[in-house]
Amino acid sequence: MDFLTSFKICSSGLATQRARMEVAASNLANVETTRTPEGGPYRKKTVVLSSEPVPDGFNTAFKDAVKMVKIAAIVEEKNVKMAHDPSHPDADAKGFVAKPDINPVLEMTEMIAAGRSYEACVTAFDATKSMALKTLEMGR
Amino acid sequence: MNDLLIRGDLMPPSIGAEGPAGEKQGGEKNFSTVLRDAVADINKFQLNAEEAIAKVQLDNTTSIHEAVIALEKADISFRAMMQVRNKILEAYQEIMRMQV
Repeated sequence: MDFLTSFKICSSGLATQRARMEVAASNLANVETTRTPEGGPYRKKTVVLSSEPVPDGFNTAFKDAVKMVKIAAIVEEKNVKMAHDPSHPDADAKGFVAKPDINPVLEMTEMIAAGRSYEACVTAFDATKSMALKTLEMGR
Repeated sequence: MNDLLIRGDLMPPSIGAEGPAGEKQGGEKNFSTVLRDAVADINKFQLNAEEAIAKVQLDNTTSIHEAVIALEKADISFRAMMQVRNKILEAYQEIMRMQV
Protein backbone atom coordinates (compact mmCIF):
# COMPACT_ATOMS: atom_id res chain seq x y z
CA MET A 1 0.00 0.00 0.00
CA ASP A 2 1.35 3.38 -1.01
CA PHE A 3 1.03 5.17 2.30
CA LEU A 4 3.42 2.65 3.85
CA THR A 5 6.39 4.46 2.23
CA SER A 6 5.64 7.55 4.25
CA PHE A 7 5.25 5.42 7.38
CA LYS A 8 8.68 3.88 6.81
CA ILE A 9 10.29 7.30 6.41
CA CYS A 10 8.56 8.60 9.55
CA SER A 11 9.67 5.49 11.42
CA SER A 12 13.31 6.01 10.46
CA GLY A 13 13.05 9.66 11.52
CA LEU A 14 11.58 8.71 14.89
CA ALA A 15 14.30 6.12 15.49
CA THR A 16 17.16 8.49 14.66
CA GLN A 17 15.77 11.42 16.66
CA ARG A 18 15.31 9.12 19.62
CA ALA A 19 18.94 8.04 19.25
CA ARG A 20 20.03 11.70 19.20
CA MET A 21 18.07 12.25 22.39
CA GLU A 22 19.74 9.21 24.00
CA VAL A 23 23.20 10.43 23.04
CA ALA A 24 22.46 13.93 24.37
CA ALA A 25 21.18 12.44 27.62
CA SER A 26 24.32 10.29 27.86
CA ASN A 27 26.53 13.36 27.34
CA LEU A 28 24.62 15.30 29.98
CA ALA A 29 24.74 12.44 32.47
CA ASN A 30 28.50 12.01 32.01
CA VAL A 31 29.42 15.67 32.13
CA GLU A 32 31.71 15.06 35.12
CA THR A 33 32.77 11.48 34.43
CA THR A 34 36.51 11.01 34.79
CA ARG A 35 36.73 7.23 34.59
CA THR A 36 35.61 4.88 31.81
CA PRO A 37 36.27 1.19 31.11
CA GLU A 38 38.46 2.28 28.15
CA GLY A 39 40.47 4.53 30.45
CA GLY A 40 40.53 8.30 30.67
CA PRO A 41 37.50 10.57 30.97
CA TYR A 42 34.22 10.14 29.13
CA ARG A 43 34.39 11.46 25.57
CA LYS A 44 31.56 13.59 24.22
CA LYS A 45 29.58 11.73 21.54
CA THR A 46 28.04 13.22 18.42
CA VAL A 47 25.52 11.52 16.12
CA VAL A 48 26.18 11.72 12.38
CA LEU A 49 23.14 11.13 10.17
CA SER A 50 22.97 10.04 6.55
CA SER A 51 20.12 9.48 4.12
CA GLU A 52 19.40 6.13 2.53
CA PRO A 53 16.96 5.05 -0.19
CA VAL A 54 13.57 3.66 0.78
CA PRO A 55 13.33 -0.09 0.04
CA ASP A 56 10.73 -0.77 -2.70
CA GLY A 57 8.88 2.41 -1.91
CA PHE A 58 7.35 5.41 -3.61
CA ASN A 59 6.64 5.84 -7.28
CA THR A 60 9.15 3.81 -9.31
CA ALA A 61 9.86 6.74 -11.66
CA PHE A 62 10.90 9.00 -8.77
CA LYS A 63 12.37 6.31 -6.59
CA ASP A 64 15.47 8.33 -5.70
CA ALA A 65 13.50 11.42 -4.73
CA VAL A 66 12.58 10.28 -1.22
CA LYS A 67 15.08 9.08 1.35
CA MET A 68 14.96 7.55 4.77
CA VAL A 69 17.39 8.67 7.46
CA LYS A 70 19.80 6.50 9.38
CA ILE A 71 22.65 6.88 11.83
CA ALA A 72 25.92 6.83 9.87
CA ALA A 73 28.20 6.94 12.91
CA ILE A 74 28.54 8.08 16.48
CA VAL A 75 31.75 10.07 16.66
CA GLU A 76 33.71 10.57 19.87
CA GLU A 77 35.24 13.92 20.71
CA LYS A 78 39.06 13.72 20.97
CA ASN A 79 39.62 16.73 23.21
CA VAL A 80 39.33 16.66 26.95
CA LYS A 81 39.04 19.60 29.31
CA MET A 82 41.84 19.98 31.86
CA ALA A 83 40.57 21.37 35.13
CA HIS A 84 42.77 22.31 38.06
CA ASP A 85 41.54 20.33 41.06
CA PRO A 86 44.44 18.86 43.12
CA SER A 87 42.07 17.25 45.67
CA HIS A 88 40.45 15.09 43.00
CA PRO A 89 41.48 11.37 43.16
CA ASP A 90 42.09 11.34 39.38
CA ALA A 91 44.29 14.44 39.38
CA ASP A 92 47.73 14.12 37.76
CA ALA A 93 51.05 15.18 39.31
CA LYS A 94 50.40 18.85 38.49
CA GLY A 95 46.92 18.73 40.00
CA PHE A 96 44.98 18.73 36.72
CA VAL A 97 41.98 16.46 36.10
CA ALA A 98 40.96 15.42 32.58
CA LYS A 99 37.21 16.05 32.28
CA PRO A 100 34.89 15.53 29.31
CA ASP A 101 34.71 18.52 26.97
CA ILE A 102 30.94 18.84 27.22
CA ASN A 103 28.97 22.07 27.22
CA PRO A 104 25.69 21.36 29.06
CA VAL A 105 23.95 24.29 27.35
CA LEU A 106 24.76 22.91 23.90
CA GLU A 107 23.57 19.46 25.00
CA MET A 108 20.28 20.95 26.20
CA THR A 109 19.72 22.67 22.86
CA GLU A 110 20.59 19.41 21.09
CA MET A 111 17.98 17.68 23.25
CA ILE A 112 15.35 20.29 22.42
CA ALA A 113 16.17 20.05 18.71
CA ALA A 114 15.90 16.26 18.80
CA GLY A 115 12.58 16.49 20.66
CA ARG A 116 11.17 18.98 18.16
CA SER A 117 12.29 16.87 15.20
CA TYR A 118 10.66 13.84 16.80
CA GLU A 119 7.43 15.79 17.20
CA ALA A 120 7.65 16.87 13.56
CA CYS A 121 7.97 13.21 12.50
CA VAL A 122 4.94 12.31 14.62
CA THR A 123 2.97 15.14 13.00
CA ALA A 124 3.98 13.95 9.53
CA PHE A 125 2.87 10.45 10.50
CA ASP A 126 -0.50 11.73 11.75
CA ALA A 127 -1.00 13.77 8.58
CA THR A 128 -0.30 10.68 6.46
CA LYS A 129 -2.75 8.66 8.50
CA SER A 130 -5.53 11.24 8.24
CA MET A 131 -4.86 11.42 4.49
CA ALA A 132 -5.30 7.66 4.19
CA LEU A 133 -8.49 7.77 6.28
CA LYS A 134 -9.85 10.69 4.24
CA THR A 135 -9.36 8.58 1.12
CA LEU A 136 -11.60 5.92 2.63
CA GLU A 137 -14.32 8.52 3.16
CA MET A 138 -14.29 9.35 -0.55
CA GLY A 139 -17.66 8.89 -2.29
CA ARG A 140 -19.59 8.38 0.89
CA MET B 1 -40.11 -3.50 -43.88
CA ASN B 2 -36.39 -3.85 -43.94
CA ASP B 3 -36.13 -0.70 -41.93
CA LEU B 4 -38.00 -2.27 -39.03
CA LEU B 5 -35.64 -5.17 -38.77
CA ILE B 6 -33.33 -4.92 -35.87
CA ARG B 7 -29.88 -5.41 -37.13
CA GLY B 8 -27.11 -6.74 -35.04
CA ASP B 9 -27.59 -9.03 -32.12
CA LEU B 10 -29.69 -8.24 -29.10
CA MET B 11 -27.38 -10.01 -26.80
CA PRO B 12 -25.33 -7.83 -24.54
CA PRO B 13 -21.76 -7.48 -25.70
CA SER B 14 -20.44 -9.39 -22.71
CA ILE B 15 -22.16 -12.62 -23.80
CA GLY B 16 -20.56 -12.48 -27.24
CA ALA B 17 -17.20 -11.84 -25.68
CA GLU B 18 -17.55 -14.54 -23.09
CA GLY B 19 -15.57 -17.17 -25.01
CA PRO B 20 -12.16 -15.52 -24.92
CA ALA B 21 -12.93 -13.54 -21.74
CA GLY B 22 -13.95 -16.70 -19.88
CA GLU B 23 -10.78 -18.44 -20.89
CA LYS B 24 -8.78 -15.42 -19.88
CA GLN B 25 -10.40 -15.37 -16.47
CA GLY B 26 -9.20 -18.89 -15.77
CA GLY B 27 -5.60 -17.76 -16.20
CA GLU B 28 -5.91 -14.53 -14.22
CA LYS B 29 -6.90 -14.16 -10.62
CA ASN B 30 -10.65 -14.04 -10.13
CA PHE B 31 -12.33 -11.76 -7.66
CA SER B 32 -12.63 -14.21 -4.77
CA THR B 33 -8.90 -15.04 -4.95
CA VAL B 34 -8.02 -11.34 -4.92
CA LEU B 35 -10.32 -10.78 -1.96
CA ARG B 36 -8.91 -13.76 -0.09
CA ASP B 37 -5.34 -12.53 -0.70
CA ALA B 38 -6.29 -9.07 0.54
CA VAL B 39 -7.82 -10.49 3.70
CA ALA B 40 -4.71 -12.62 4.25
CA ASP B 41 -2.48 -9.53 3.85
CA ILE B 42 -4.57 -7.59 6.37
CA ASN B 43 -4.44 -10.51 8.76
CA LYS B 44 -0.65 -10.43 8.41
CA PHE B 45 -0.64 -6.75 9.37
CA GLN B 46 -2.75 -7.53 12.43
CA LEU B 47 -0.38 -10.34 13.46
CA ASN B 48 2.64 -8.06 12.94
CA ALA B 49 1.04 -5.44 15.19
CA GLU B 50 0.34 -8.05 17.85
CA GLU B 51 3.93 -9.30 17.64
CA ALA B 52 5.30 -5.75 17.91
CA ILE B 53 3.23 -5.07 21.02
CA ALA B 54 4.36 -8.34 22.57
CA LYS B 55 7.99 -7.43 21.82
CA VAL B 56 7.60 -4.06 23.52
CA GLN B 57 5.69 -5.37 26.52
CA LEU B 58 7.52 -8.64 27.15
CA ASP B 59 11.07 -8.50 25.80
CA ASN B 60 11.49 -4.73 25.44
CA THR B 61 13.31 -5.36 22.14
CA THR B 62 11.34 -3.07 19.81
CA SER B 63 10.90 0.65 20.33
CA ILE B 64 7.39 1.88 21.02
CA HIS B 65 7.08 3.93 17.86
CA GLU B 66 7.55 0.79 15.77
CA ALA B 67 4.73 -0.90 17.66
CA VAL B 68 2.47 2.12 17.22
CA ILE B 69 3.25 2.28 13.50
CA ALA B 70 2.50 -1.44 13.14
CA LEU B 71 -0.83 -0.81 14.91
CA GLU B 72 -1.66 2.09 12.60
CA LYS B 73 -0.81 -0.01 9.54
CA ALA B 74 -3.16 -2.72 10.78
CA ASP B 75 -5.85 -0.15 11.58
CA ILE B 76 -5.79 1.59 8.19
CA SER B 77 -5.62 -1.62 6.16
CA PHE B 78 -8.52 -3.04 8.19
CA ARG B 79 -10.59 0.08 7.59
CA ALA B 80 -9.84 -0.13 3.87
CA MET B 81 -11.00 -3.75 3.85
CA MET B 82 -14.19 -2.79 5.73
CA GLN B 83 -14.85 -0.18 3.07
CA VAL B 84 -14.57 -2.81 0.33
CA ARG B 85 -16.84 -5.14 2.29
CA ASN B 86 -19.44 -2.36 2.75
CA LYS B 87 -19.45 -1.68 -0.98
CA ILE B 88 -19.90 -5.37 -1.79
CA LEU B 89 -22.77 -5.71 0.68
CA GLU B 90 -24.38 -2.56 -0.67
CA ALA B 91 -24.26 -3.93 -4.22
CA TYR B 92 -25.66 -7.28 -3.04
CA GLN B 93 -28.55 -5.63 -1.22
CA GLU B 94 -29.26 -3.46 -4.24
CA ILE B 95 -29.61 -6.61 -6.31
CA MET B 96 -31.83 -8.26 -3.69
CA ARG B 97 -34.16 -5.25 -3.71
CA MET B 98 -34.58 -5.51 -7.48
CA GLN B 99 -38.24 -5.78 -8.65
CA VAL B 100 -38.91 -8.99 -10.55
